[in-house]
Amino acid sequence: MSVVPVPSAFEARSNAAFKAILWSLARPGLVHEMPESGMAQIVEALIDRECAVHCTSPELAHLAHNTGALMVAPELADHVFADDVPVTLLDCLRRGSDLHPDDGATLIAHAELTKGARLRMTGPGIDGAVEVMIGGLPGGFWQRRAQVMRYPMGFEILLVDGARILGVPRSTVVEVL
Amino acid sequence: MTLQALTKPWEPMSYGFLDGSAKREIRRKMIKAIAVPGCQMPYASREVPMARGWGTGGLQVSLTLVNPAMRVKVIDQGADDSVNAASIRRFIARVAGTPTTMNTLEADLIQSRHRIPEEVLREDQVLVLQVPNPEPLRPVQPNMSIARQMHADADYGRMWLQLYEQIVRSGRVMQGASYPSLVHGRHVMTPSPIPRWDVPKLHMAKHLTILSAGREKRIFAVPPFTRVEPLVFSDVPYKVEDHAELTCHRSGTRGYLMNEIPQDDGSSLFEVSDSEWGVKAIRRRDGEDVALGETWYKNGKMPS
Repeated sequence: MSVVPVPSAFEARSNAAFKAILWSLARPGLVHEMPESGMAQIVEALIDRECAVHCTSPELAHLAHNTGALMVAPELADHVFADDVPVTLLDCLRRGSDLHPDDGATLIAHAELTKGARLRMTGPGIDGAVEVMIGGLPGGFWQRRAQVMRYPMGFEILLVDGARILGVPRSTVVEVL
Repeated sequence: MTLQALTKPWEPMSYGFLDGSAKREIRRKMIKAIAVPGCQMPYASREVPMARGWGTGGLQVSLTLVNPAMRVKVIDQGADDSVNAASIRRFIARVAGTPTTMNTLEADLIQSRHRIPEEVLREDQVLVLQVPNPEPLRPVQPNMSIARQMHADADYGRMWLQLYEQIVRSGRVMQGASYPSLVHGRHVMTPSPIPRWDVPKLHMAKHLTILSAGREKRIFAVPPFTRVEPLVFSDVPYKVEDHAELTCHRSGTRGYLMNEIPQDDGSSLFEVSDSEWGVKAIRRRDGEDVALGETWYKNGKMPS
């Protein structure tokens, strides 16, 4: 006898959230839809006791802590969930090493997608170049990002606006227009 | 905190066989693999009910990605109906309740051993390649710590030397499968043992490719629209298998990668390696209304 397995609500949500995260990094500059609004689903999809996490919002910190993750300062964290991102945060994020680029951090931040500063992105995952509007980030954010990273070292940025998500992996070159 | 908050309802089995922590770890590594195309990311590679080296790496990636709406196709050396492909496909369908297909055009997720289908993959499709040996430097540097340092330094001189030696000894590049390729101008990867015929299909492709080696515990990826350039000397152009003029003896299709079938009289017959392409060509020949997708190769040539 075989029973068709059905994913639980948690499993279905994390699977769909991860699908959005995966495609947002595979196709930088394109906006993808997550199943719900907010960052909690990203915590559910990615974070567990193997992670070191920094959260600026207390609710998210509580959720991340309950997964068993270590709560640490941003310079030690492999996942940083930030409501607002001071430019100085980019200086202290983990960037990994040439030997282990995977040690670089993932920054998940709130931003306004499709309005704000005009940017042009090029790199893997982008067919030629793509222009996007991203607001809610401090001035000099993208310039600082370019200064602190040297490929293949760097960090990934996931920008969340409600249920929408846009990814900027380290391989993407961002020009402010 | 209550005990209730730390537990979850009983399930006979995790959806998709892998437990939550295995999936989250593979998800985190897939993110990094996509961010640094072609760079091998170590991962834990959990046990699955299959021997390592039989597609466990690809299977773990597939089981992490699947949901009940995802249609799965599994290929083994071009064929959908060989034992390895059939059992992986049946396993995924059984533990994740996914619909399955053999038609490349209908599939959302394609797990493949050593072939990329002849029909062009779309940008919503994911190709998962099973990788036996993820380290392109292994023939020139058996010590994997030193090989990692060589990747970090982009120190690929010995790869070129290896190709040079093959040309000097044999008059041509002898590398048949897993041809070393430079991804995004930075990391040399092995595209898994796909034939030379299939490597140009990865260059600036629309689909996402994830390569996973279960036994060697490494995962790497080629995002869409990423440069994948086989290592070649400027005066010795890259050559794919000489199959452009061969005709499949069963389907009559021509200009695709063929399997050679030796005959008793010493001659050979050829049969198209992408079995589903052959099946569709036969069905169309017999008058059925079968949709054939656009192919990468046209008249045996890859348009550049």
